[in-house]
Amino acid sequence: MKNLTKILALLIAVLMLCGTAFAEATDLPRNETVYFGGQQWGSVVGTNPLSSNNNNSMAVAANARGSRTIMFETLYMYNMLDGQLYPLLADGDYVWNDDLTEMTVKIKAAAKWSDGTPVTANDVAATWAACEKLQNGTYTNYAAYIAGIEAADDATVVIKAVTTEDGKPVNPLQFMNYLSEVYVVQGAWIDTVMERNGNDAAKVLADPADDVVYSGPYGPYFYNDQMVSFVRNDAYWGQDESMWGKLPVPKYIAHGIYSDNDAALVAFKAGQIDCNQQFIANVQNLWLEEDLPIATYMDEAPYGICATMPTAWYNMEIPALQNVAVRKAIAMAVDYDNIIENAMTNQSPSFTDVPRSVMNPTDGEQAMYDHEAVKDLQWAGKDIEGAKALLDEAGIVDSDGDGYRELDGEKITLNACCPNGWTDWQAAMEMVAAAGQAIGLDITTNYPEWSIYQTVFTAASQTEYDIFMYSPAGATPASPWARVRSFMSSEFLGKDNNWSGNFGHYKNDRIDEIIAAIPQTTDEAELKALYTEATEIYLTEVPSFSLMYRPEQFHAVNETVWTGYPEKDDGDNIPPANLTDGYGIAALYNLELVEG
Amino acid sequence: MKNTLKNVFHSPRFVVGFTIFMVILLTVLIYPYFVTRDPLLGLGKGFLEPGTYVSVYDTNTAGTYRVELPEANMNRMESSVPMEDRVTIIEFLTAKGVDVSHLTTANGDVPELVSLWQENYDEADVKKSKYPGFTTQAKRKALARMDARLSGDSATAKMTVTVGDGDDAATTTVNDTDYVKVNEVANSITLPLGTDNFGRDTLTELVKATGISLLIGLIAGTVATLLGLIVGLLAGYVGGILDDILMFIANLFTVIPGFVLLILIYYSVGQAARGVTTCALVIGFTSWVWTARSVRSQVISLRNRDHVNLSKLSGHSLPRIVVTDILPYIASYVVMAFILQVSSGILAEAQLSLLGLGPKTTDVPTLGLMMNWAKLFGAYTSSNAWWAYFPVILVIALISFSLNLMNTGLDQVFNPTLRD
Repeated sequence: MKNLTKILALLIAVLMLCGTAFAEATDLPRNETVYFGGQQWGSVVGTNPLSSNNNNSMAVAANARGSRTIMFETLYMYNMLDGQLYPLLADGDYVWNDDLTEMTVKIKAAAKWSDGTPVTANDVAATWAACEKLQNGTYTNYAAYIAGIEAADDATVVIKAVTTEDGKPVNPLQFMNYLSEVYVVQGAWIDTVMERNGNDAAKVLADPADDVVYSGPYGPYFYNDQMVSFVRNDAYWGQDESMWGKLPVPKYIAHGIYSDNDAALVAFKAGQIDCNQQFIANVQNLWLEEDLPIATYMDEAPYGICATMPTAWYNMEIPALQNVAVRKAIAMAVDYDNIIENAMTNQSPSFTDVPRSVMNPTDGEQAMYDHEAVKDLQWAGKDIEGAKALLDEAGIVDSDGDGYRELDGEKITLNACCPNGWTDWQAAMEMVAAAGQAIGLDITTNYPEWSIYQTVFTAASQTEYDIFMYSPAGATPASPWARVRSFMSSEFLGKDNNWSGNFGHYKNDRIDEIIAAIPQTTDEAELKALYTEATEIYLTEVPSFSLMYRPEQFHAVNETVWTGYPEKDDGDNIPPANLTDGYGIAALYNLELVEG
Repeated sequence: MKNTLKNVFHSPRFVVGFTIFMVILLTVLIYPYFVTRDPLLGLGKGFLEPGTYVSVYDTNTAGTYRVELPEANMNRMESSVPMEDRVTIIEFLTAKGVDVSHLTTANGDVPELVSLWQENYDEADVKKSKYPGFTTQAKRKALARMDARLSGDSATAKMTVTVGDGDDAATTTVNDTDYVKVNEVANSITLPLGTDNFGRDTLTELVKATGISLLIGLIAGTVATLLGLIVGLLAGYVGGILDDILMFIANLFTVIPGFVLLILIYYSVGQAARGVTTCALVIGFTSWVWTARSVRSQVISLRNRDHVNLSKLSGHSLPRIVVTDILPYIASYVVMAFILQVSSGILAEAQLSLLGLGPKTTDVPTLGLMMNWAKLFGAYTSSNAWWAYFPVILVIALISFSLNLMNTGLDQVFNPTLRD
């Protein structure tokens, strides 16, 4: 018996030694690895570019604002700084035919898959065909606009538009999104995976795709429950002169899996994360007070490029909120400066600097509507007296003396909701509730868990959340049109699982006409008039109100090991998109070690 | 009774605990008479450091006095070119190859350091030339900030204040010997504990929160003790099938960890209903078990005493026997249990709130909620605001420390085996 214990103890000791040896084998050399933070939570499911259920955000993250192209590549890369598309797998600019019903894209001759075969137009066509067969997210997003994708020859892709009855394309703007969002997948690999799963769509989408062929500069190195990592493909086609002319600098890309934001922040401060996509309250303290080698894209507030605007949506199914005076009064009473200063710790321009509209605060979008025309409709916030007067005027008064106003004899009781743990949003909702209390509306906060929240606010109909937060479309090649649509379009009404917009289910016929007209308008003055009218309706009807501006992705870097990250006015025109998204990936080619 | 109280107040532990507790309680009761501000009122930007804030605007309209401090210029220099900046200047100049071997960080060398800095620093050049040690964005930006600081204020520059605008503007010159008397400035505020992430005065909020947390503890403690007492008395005295049933329920509660139960019940209540009272009641309903068990075992041993049997023979009713013949014997235990229940009720609220399950923030502050928001806004990670969470922890620690001290003090008095 005693011997048995000894042997057991010895065995355990040996196992532990093996364990440490194994752990060391997977340790990455620090000065060849860029560590990311704030992107990957939990373990990886797969690496399947056709599926959206991989939980592998470093490898598969397709998004119109710029897909992550370290492993899979798109035809073009979107740059939110100038709103332009830069060719990646594509060769040169895309070409429209005269009536905007067909787009032609050339493929770079140098482009190769990781198995050495060339990327051809057939792969692009095969990708769309596979999406159609699988009925995946890509297909449902674009089927209304794209009729088909064909290969004219090996290097020429033709994308055909769905047309209206009079032969006009439904929406050419959505093509730009497609170009920068959808990964090109190898046709041969699609055949393999289809065959392997007996052409069963559900099985194909659930395939972890361990054998996937990719065209990007990095391939999977190892995944475990503590880290995901990728290793550079030194045969990457992009080192050809027709693309980057060199390989990206880091040999490895890694992302530790942390339990929560706080843990990730501690690692970031300690220099274990180089590039961090995470909201950090009072980020400036990290360099001003703690003297850490940490920087953001801009040295001054708002520290990043704010391209989206977290918004409080009014639920139009709640009788009290069908009243426009109530909607406007709440929006007028909210103290936005306080939200920006305290909830966002100044990481947003104020509404005094950038008045509210359907545009994000980038200069390009701000120029697209007439500020003067809607000046009188603006509100500054914290206007308690004005809000009270508006409610009094609308006959919404406190008649039973309980301190709260009634509408049609019923006390107005509302909740203000956002997901639990979304710090800055929670703080903002606290201030919305406080504003409601100040003008005699009983508003209280409610923070459900995200898993519940997401099913409720995206439902076709719900009466659980009265005022709730989510962001409209950010910066994509199709914005600001896409944002007008996501603020007010009635096309999302009655749709379950609606992630696209108009979460409050607002309906306005004129806005629908404008949304249909903008994509087909090319005259700039006319376009400006349409956007101005949309802003006018938005500010008069108040179907929702933005609480702050916010970067779509936070981007803070710790320069303990690497430097050469993009910064404002550095002349490189590389957006702060975590070195990986859209044209932001260009930053990976500029990195250098701090200790040369 | 009088004798018992006298004994109790002779126990040093009890006296210390009682004093701490009373100080906290009195502060909670009296403070609102001095500071009448709404504790939830946001005063300004989040996480202001503790200190006295004087309105810059009003200092210009307050009367000035001439004071000549001999060290005034040196103080100005130390504040406008602090030691870290001097070290950085020397490091930068050395890296650039400028000879600074004759210069130190002493006050006398500062003017020369600053002028050398202004001659040699150029933002674009630093970026292009990549001087060793200054290659990173973070370092370069730190230099640019320092440059702005150095050129922004100089100890000898003339300072003017313009009142009004346009043609009516009147300009006055501010001399370096002009002083204002702090209590003559119309607006100034002392924030002994700074502000929290919402810009609320932490001290005022803390006092209010302590009051609310004590209230939660009191309600939770009362509910738990009453429930435990009733269940224990009934189970112990009546016995039989009632005892079996009650103990079955109590055992169920013992087996399931109380805190898990608390989280589950509280979560199912839903956020809309989460007020202070609900919070306290839920805590009370999940923490009565141990009181019930102890009371029951004591009652069982009391049940067959002679005086109880005599009462039974005299035909006294059950409530009367319980109240007059049994309760007095376990009263000391119940009081001690109550004190502990209050303490654990306060801790339970803090734990719940820290998990984001506390009462609604819009209504009231509680100690747990204050810690929750401090955590959410990185008070101990990125924002470095010790004042937003440390005093809260201290108050929680002091409350439970004082209550526990009182409890052990009472134990010393009432428990014969511990009596000296």
